[in-house]
Amino acid sequence: MAVKMIVQSKPEPKHPVAVKGTREGLVFLLDEHCAYEDLYRCLTDLLTGESAGLFNGPQVAVSVDYGDRALTPEQARALLGVFLARENFVVREWGGHTAARKALYGQRPSARAQNQFIHKGTVRAGQDLYFDGDVVVVGDVNPGGQVSAAGDIYVFGRLRGIAHAGIHGDERAIIAAAEFAPTQVRIASVVGWAPESAGERMSTFMEFAYLTADGMAVDKMQYAAVLRQAGPGTADGPGSAGASAGEGG
Amino acid sequence: MGTAVVITSGKGGVGKTTSTANIGTALALLGKRVCLVDTDIGLRNLDVVMGLENRIIYDIVDVASGECRLEQALIRDKRFDHLAVLPASQTKDKSALDPDRVRDMVVQLKQQFDFVFIDCPAGIEHGFRVAVAGADEAIVVTTPETASVRDADRVIGLLEASHLKSPKLIINRIRPKMVKQGDMLDIDEVVQVLAIDLLGVIPDEETVIKNNIKGEPIVMNPDSRAAMAYRHIARRILGDSVPLMVLDEEPGLWSRVKRLIGGRR
Ligand SMILES: Nc1ncnc2c1ncn2[C@@H]1O[C@H](COP(=O)(O)OP(=O)(O)OP(=O)(O)O)[C@@H](O)[C@H]1O
Ligand SMILES: [Mg+2]
Repeated sequence: MAVKMIVQSKPEPKHPVAVKGTREGLVFLLDEHCAYEDLYRCLTDLLTGESAGLFNGPQVAVSVDYGDRALTPEQARALLGVFLARENFVVREWGGHTAARKALYGQRPSARAQNQFIHKGTVRAGQDLYFDGDVVVVGDVNPGGQVSAAGDIYVFGRLRGIAHAGIHGDERAIIAAAEFAPTQVRIASVVGWAPESAGERMSTFMEFAYLTADGMAVDKMQYAAVLRQAGPGTADGPGSAGASAGEGG
Repeated sequence: MGTAVVITSGKGGVGKTTSTANIGTALALLGKRVCLVDTDIGLRNLDVVMGLENRIIYDIVDVASGECRLEQALIRDKRFDHLAVLPASQTKDKSALDPDRVRDMVVQLKQQFDFVFIDCPAGIEHGFRVAVAGADEAIVVTTPETASVRDADRVIGLLEASHLKSPKLIINRIRPKMVKQGDMLDIDEVVQVLAIDLLGVIPDEETVIKNNIKGEPIVMNPDSRAAMAYRHIARRILGDSVPLMVLDEEPGLWSRVKRLIGGRR
């Protein structure tokens, strides 16, 4: 008997924190409409709660975008503090209309509408997690387990099972994992397998698969390059000053 | 009111029956009232491992069908009278049991025993659902092999989706030499994949097989390391914190094991 976890059939309330991965690093999109308390709770839950360990690893550039929300100085300090408290997060951008968000939406106009489903825990053998949007797994996807998404798939853990992003044909969808050792990955209708070297614990924060004109490519998040770019003068953000010392990959 | 624990695995032949018999006997040795329930219809062997085969008159299917009372089917162990076995039937059809009937029996048994261990058949079909129905807790047995771990993972998913939210893990038939040579998964890898609490690790030992054939659970054997591992598991079930045994002199393994336990207790 197959355990189907079709989360689409019971739509979750939109999670106040969406995480996106790009080649440059992580982008956190904070919901602009929900109550501030809910936002803060979800954020601390994600980054300092049980799942916090999964964000450990080499340094990664982080952009935080809170949209049109009007934050009081105290609220801004509290939210930003959650990110700054993480040693390996180099906050590169902080603001309401960050370049990261623009880059994301410029690339994929549909991304704005894309809902995100966050699954906490292991996706086990025989389980099939499907969502009509992005899927974030805060945990491992074990061999024999499967994650399918209309949008992107992010695994903050080990991807060892099957991941199928862009299941309705979105060729711009990506599959990212802290430890990238899938049995099989599929983006839209293109099938790929794990790279030869897969399975070793991250020399980069995340690896991810995306489609190019020539087929599927697997790349590392380029945190080092980003650190060099990110000067203290970054628009309205605190820049990477202080946090970027000691890059040690 | 006692606690009912189902012992399950997904894959066959990994040591469910051996573990049921030995954990049960170990708890009986510690003075607990224990009943072992065999739900593996058609492949009865818990009674053989317990050495009670020749005393069966009625079995669990007879109880389910009203042929006899529950009390009549219980076989008291010849060593301790606070240890009993409810045997399975070798001849009757697998579909003879249904989850509700077995749940009723388990509830009844919990009134007179501190622990009821339910030996589950392999697989995840009807027999699995029957065995799991009356349980309050679950123990998943795996060997350190890929196929067995995969099936355990599957079963854990099913348990977590049911009322048994935090199953515990036993890794059986560990052979330190093979682990060292990389021919077997090590404890760390198994625990990492399955991501549940580790209850114990049982070494692979020829005497286990010999004792099973003799019908004398290995826990009675003072020199066996497998026996010691099972006695430790019994104490952990009672809430004692007993560190994992050193299965091998190699320091690497031990320190990893310690770290693992330390992180989870
Ligand atoms: N630690 C061990 N060392 C050596 N042999 C073992 C060990 N544990 C179990 N065995 C042997 O493995 C075989 C299978 O064990 P057992 O019958 O307990 O498994 P099971 O999971 O109940 O099997 P089934 O799925 O058929 O019910 C038996 O021959 C048993 O003696
Ligand atoms: Mg058995």
